[in-house]
Amino acid sequence: MDFIGFLIEFAPRYLNGFQRYVSLALFSFVIAFVIGVIIASFRVSPIPPLQRFGTAYVSVFRNTPLLVLLFLFFFGGPKLGLTFSPYATTVLVLGLYTGAYLGETIRSGINAVSKGQAEAARAIGLGFTQVLGFIVVPQALRTVVGPIGNLFIANAKNTALGLTIGYAELTSVAQTLANREARTVEAYLSAAFIYATSLLIVGGLFGLIEKQVAIKR
Amino acid sequence: MSSILTEEPGPRGQRRIQIANWISVAAIIALLAYAIWRFWQAGEFEAERYEQLIAFGEEWPQFVISGLGYTIRAAVTAMVLATIIGFAMALGRLSLNPVTRWTSRIYVEFFRSIPVLLFILFAFLALQDLGLGFITPFWGLVIGLTAYNSAVLAEIFRAGILSLDKGQSEAASAIGLSYWQSMRLVILPQAVRRMTPAIVAQLATLTKDTSLGFVIGYQEVLRRSQVMGEGSPRNVLQAYFFAAVLYFIVVYGLSRVARRLERQQRKKYGAKRIEVAGGPEDLDAMGEEVDEDETREREPAVSR
Repeated sequence: MDFIGFLIEFAPRYLNGFQRYVSLALFSFVIAFVIGVIIASFRVSPIPPLQRFGTAYVSVFRNTPLLVLLFLFFFGGPKLGLTFSPYATTVLVLGLYTGAYLGETIRSGINAVSKGQAEAARAIGLGFTQVLGFIVVPQALRTVVGPIGNLFIANAKNTALGLTIGYAELTSVAQTLANREARTVEAYLSAAFIYATSLLIVGGLFGLIEKQVAIKR
Repeated sequence: MSSILTEEPGPRGQRRIQIANWISVAAIIALLAYAIWRFWQAGEFEAERYEQLIAFGEEWPQFVISGLGYTIRAAVTAMVLATIIGFAMALGRLSLNPVTRWTSRIYVEFFRSIPVLLFILFAFLALQDLGLGFITPFWGLVIGLTAYNSAVLAEIFRAGILSLDKGQSEAASAIGLSYWQSMRLVILPQAVRRMTPAIVAQLATLTKDTSLGFVIGYQEVLRRSQVMGEGSPRNVLQAYFFAAVLYFIVVYGLSRVARRLERQQRKKYGAKRIEVAGGPEDLDAMGEEVDEDETREREPAVSR
């Protein structure tokens, strides 16, 4: 039951898994962020086809299990001529999935920015993209720092699904060690310990950022 | 807000919107057409790959659809257990005893920060090694889901109870009700009403997560569709798509219920939405339309 001892004994393996987990979490979140901003802009744009596309995208990605999406992309991608490694597939699918959530979060932030801001921006002659890009979205993002932090953490936890398509991230390292060393309890507890500590730290950091930049409404 | 961004475009603006309309329609159609063409080339539209799926009354669709029963059974069991533990933890976090408070706090904070998949693997594999040999894939999945969701639900319950005016519990104790009496007669009836939308949304999330039972071989929809897909004829992609549709129907239904409940409440009581980390992110999200009412309600009372 001495999982700390186990963790130290297999530190290089866990460190490797940790690096992979961090890389998945960061890169997928960057993609998710870009998609989130695009989807949110689609949904508030004056162009009906884009609005519908945004809505459909969000419903599909939020109401289908991540694991199912991962399998569909992993097996369907090559049929479309898009053959990605397990790592790239995981990053991409996590990005698409979390992007749908971020899109909604950012949209709710956009709806919370006071009308006067957009009116003033329009009055000085800015166009739709300029109003959105320079005035509204920056304020919207500051309103929803808290929810964005929660999504970052949720996304980081979802990286564990990489193991299902054969990417050796942290959970997968634990699984391998559990099998090989026949010490399941210690192996999984060690991974759980790493996830919990890292994400509690990240949560604390987002709390600090929120204090600094959030706009209270 | 969204209306202001585009309100009454001038003639040039209207023309631009028209052009953007056509371009985006063309782009979306082109993308879809390309995808369909590639799938066609890859032979994914061959009739034999679909015969299995649409032969209702026959073996295969029944086999996968009955997986839905397993999915729902796991989801409901986990939800019930998570609700009980979550409620206890919420009370613990609101307790006056610092030991209880900190124990439940540590439970909630840690359990929320660990991937559900890890819980499920732990529950299925590690608990067996600890001598709990009775753990079947069903219980592995249920225990894993319960561990994680109890922590999230604890936060939802806590937020619900805290969202009530302090006067409620003060009044309850002023008329001589004990802690449990005031909980049962005054606090919970009000808090539960406010929490319902968040709880239903969490049930939707939990239902999605039952698909992780796949990893430990629980016979739910996804696992069964894999069995179907890898049999002959080989139609993995169609089988997973079939699973996706089944999940979508259930989860979308639940999300809609959550959203409707939330709207009703906002209209009736003007209750604030309960949001917690790790919980359902944004309930409004499922909606097709941003109604202006909603937008107006979110306007700050004083504009800067």
